[in-house]
Amino acid sequence: MDNMLEMYLYETNTLMEQLDELLIEAEKNSDFTTNDVNEIFRIMHTIKGSSAMMEYSTLMEIAHHIEDLFFYIRENGMDSLDESHKNDLFNLMFQSTDALRGEVEKIENDEPLSTNIDPIIANINSFLEKISSGGKNASEGSSAQPEASPAAPAADKDAIAAINQELAGCPDSKLPFFIKILFEVGSGMENLRAFMVVTALTEQDLDFEFYPSDVETNSDTAESIVENGFFVALSSQEDVDKAVRCISDQNSIQSYEVIQNVHAQPAKPAPKAAAHPATKEESASSAVHADTVQKSSPAPAAPAAHNAPVKQSLISVSLSKLDSLVAVVGEIVITESMVTSCPDLQNLKLDNFMKSARQLRKLTDDLQDIAMSLRMVPVSGTFQKMNRVVRDMRKKLNKDVRLTLVGENTEVDKTIVDSISDPIMHIVRNSVDHGIEETREERIAAGKNPQGEVILAATHTGSEVIITITDDGRGMDTEKILAKAERNGILTKPASEYSKKEILGLLMLPGFSTNEEVTEFSGRGVGMDVVKKNVESVGGSISITSEFGQGSCTTLKIPLTMAITDGMEISVGKSLFTIPIANIRQSLKIRNDEVILDAGGNEIVKCLGEFYPIIRVHEFYNIETEKTSIEDGILIWVEAAEKSFCLFVDELLGEQQVVVKPLPSFLNSFNIKNSGIGGCTLLGDGNISLILDIGNLYAAYHSQY
Amino acid sequence: MSADTQMNAAAIEENGTPVSTERFLTFSCDGLNIGVSTNYVTEIITDHSVTMIPLVPDYLKGIISMRGQIIPIIDIRLRMGKMPIEYTSTTCIIVLDINDAQIGIIVDAVQQVMDVDQSLIAPVPVENQQELIRGMVSSGNNSVILFLDCEQLIQTY
Repeated sequence: MDNMLEMYLYETNTLMEQLDELLIEAEKNSDFTTNDVNEIFRIMHTIKGSSAMMEYSTLMEIAHHIEDLFFYIRENGMDSLDESHKNDLFNLMFQSTDALRGEVEKIENDEPLSTNIDPIIANINSFLEKISSGGKNASEGSSAQPEASPAAPAADKDAIAAINQELAGCPDSKLPFFIKILFEVGSGMENLRAFMVVTALTEQDLDFEFYPSDVETNSDTAESIVENGFFVALSSQEDVDKAVRCISDQNSIQSYEVIQNVHAQPAKPAPKAAAHPATKEESASSAVHADTVQKSSPAPAAPAAHNAPVKQSLISVSLSKLDSLVAVVGEIVITESMVTSCPDLQNLKLDNFMKSARQLRKLTDDLQDIAMSLRMVPVSGTFQKMNRVVRDMRKKLNKDVRLTLVGENTEVDKTIVDSISDPIMHIVRNSVDHGIEETREERIAAGKNPQGEVILAATHTGSEVIITITDDGRGMDTEKILAKAERNGILTKPASEYSKKEILGLLMLPGFSTNEEVTEFSGRGVGMDVVKKNVESVGGSISITSEFGQGSCTTLKIPLTMAITDGMEISVGKSLFTIPIANIRQSLKIRNDEVILDAGGNEIVKCLGEFYPIIRVHEFYNIETEKTSIEDGILIWVEAAEKSFCLFVDELLGEQQVVVKPLPSFLNSFNIKNSGIGGCTLLGDGNISLILDIGNLYAAYHSQY
Repeated sequence: MSADTQMNAAAIEENGTPVSTERFLTFSCDGLNIGVSTNYVTEIITDHSVTMIPLVPDYLKGIISMRGQIIPIIDIRLRMGKMPIEYTSTTCIIVLDINDAQIGIIVDAVQQVMDVDQSLIAPVPVENQQELIRGMVSSGNNSVILFLDCEQLIQTY
């Protein structure tokens, strides 16, 4: 059951994300294409189906009503809606997806579902009424349907031709028409599925009877449904047509046929291929049946062409499995080199062995690369969500803002992605709410583009991912901040002694809010300090810079637990270190006489007309090495932030892509981060190389000497 | 060592069910016999190259990688303030998992696994108190087994 729930949540969440993206995209064009409509219909249908399976009735109800709405839209085309309707439709859709998401979250947190969803349903229904009042006739017509509708019309004629068929086992009823429904083999819970059909038919305002009649309460009926099928009895041809359309939209139905009730006339089942009223549907649905990935798509309703763009070739795998995979692969790589460089094989001429060993090495390398990349996901998912946030705020606050995303493809470890989503959202909200000017006029007066811009960017540097949220709004008024902080009594020293940086840091203290009014989005003063806490909990840091009148920029620096970075391997004595390539400017060999001593006796060297200090790694880290003369080793000119200096090391070993691993948390108590070690990495031969954090190394060196 | 384990297990069966015993792995360190609860022990490894870490106390010998996990290694002699010795063929690393934090301790030699009745474990006399030791028990033939305080081992200070 847990497994099913997990699948359900994964599937539903994925669908919701798809839906959100689709809505944002559609709203930009302020129109739904036929594809969009079909897609929404499909998504809602799937959510409805699976929610019903899991017995989440509120979700099912909401999805069901949206589905109805889009059924209408699909039948009548978007053109039947005027501009204001479209606008309402977008708002309605965002509202209802929020409601759905809220419910899903409740399921995730194991809370009871809301019991009162009437307002949303009423909203949807009233909207449906509003738009359908104009084009009611069109929706009632049973034959003249637009191209988007499934094969039902064609099948109807066949159906009329085939209604003379009768099957043994038809239940006894006075009504003249039966529809016999067979569910997909092995779909399970047939009685519930049958009940879903009943619910769907009831929604169509049809007058009908169904057999077995106790599907809702009696789970034993599942068996008889599997054997004999599920029967719906109807009173008129018109109703049959409606019911057929409705049934063809249901999940997991293998086939159905319309049978005329000739009162207890026993007969053998008709050869399906010859007289089946719904051959077309059947072939379509059995095709889908074979395709397990798409198992929940309503086959007859959405022709394959409409499915194609959203078809995913993704599966979900639990993180712990990935972790153990990565660990095992690491072991394999080490074992492989243990085997191939086994001392017993030395001095033996083993041509075939060496050939196979080379092949094995290549394969294990590939395997390692793939395993390493598995946990990495692009931040685009998180970034895309911000589109929605900005969109909502644009509507609510009536500000003209656009969101620009940069570096969406930056790859970050999955766990990090999950943990930075909330902080980013907070900051983006702050930027739009507090940062961007209230009116276009204000912006024009300041000589800016009337449309405000918020830029969300991600970049990868060394062992960190840097996420910046920049707005071109009014910037932060340091005096106002100071005054407010003073009022709130959070100053710890006289106001005049605060530097600009410190003042901006005040923003992140608990109980601070610059906006005079509390809005729905921000201003409760719990924002930034919570953000700071969240970011720090994953080992990151946050800083704010701002130019009054020009805008502000919030920078999040998040360590990558398992980022892949390009590094230069170096050796000092027996120790190996990795310097991120991004930090390296150049490496140089110099003669002893090029080293100059400054006034304090520190070694400096002249590169490209400027002097830079030399840090001898072996001295700084107390590593024994034979290469103590500048001429024996090599200098690496590195740079981090504004700091630029040279490291003296024994040897350059080569460039390599490495996976950054954090050091065990036990070591944090030894202040290891501040001694210039940013993490470590496993080399192909199983050795550990320490990754140098150039910025911290410089600071550590200076605090020591 | 596995033979010892079996012998102990057999001993329990013969004596009937003993009262609240705990199983300990004992190792020697500078002439002391020290026991660590097997609940903490993940494995014992020998002959593993330790990568040194700069600018840390000397008892923190560095880190090793075991199946992709990075594990810090502590020399228990140095940690307890005793003199360092050359590592020999009996020197090995006991990998402990203490409240989900993995840590390896370098010991002079591993001795055996034994069951100890917890009620017999006595606190160390105040005047002899030593860091990292939470109790002791005498084990016949005049020898004493000290018990390692694992919680204290990983405490950050």
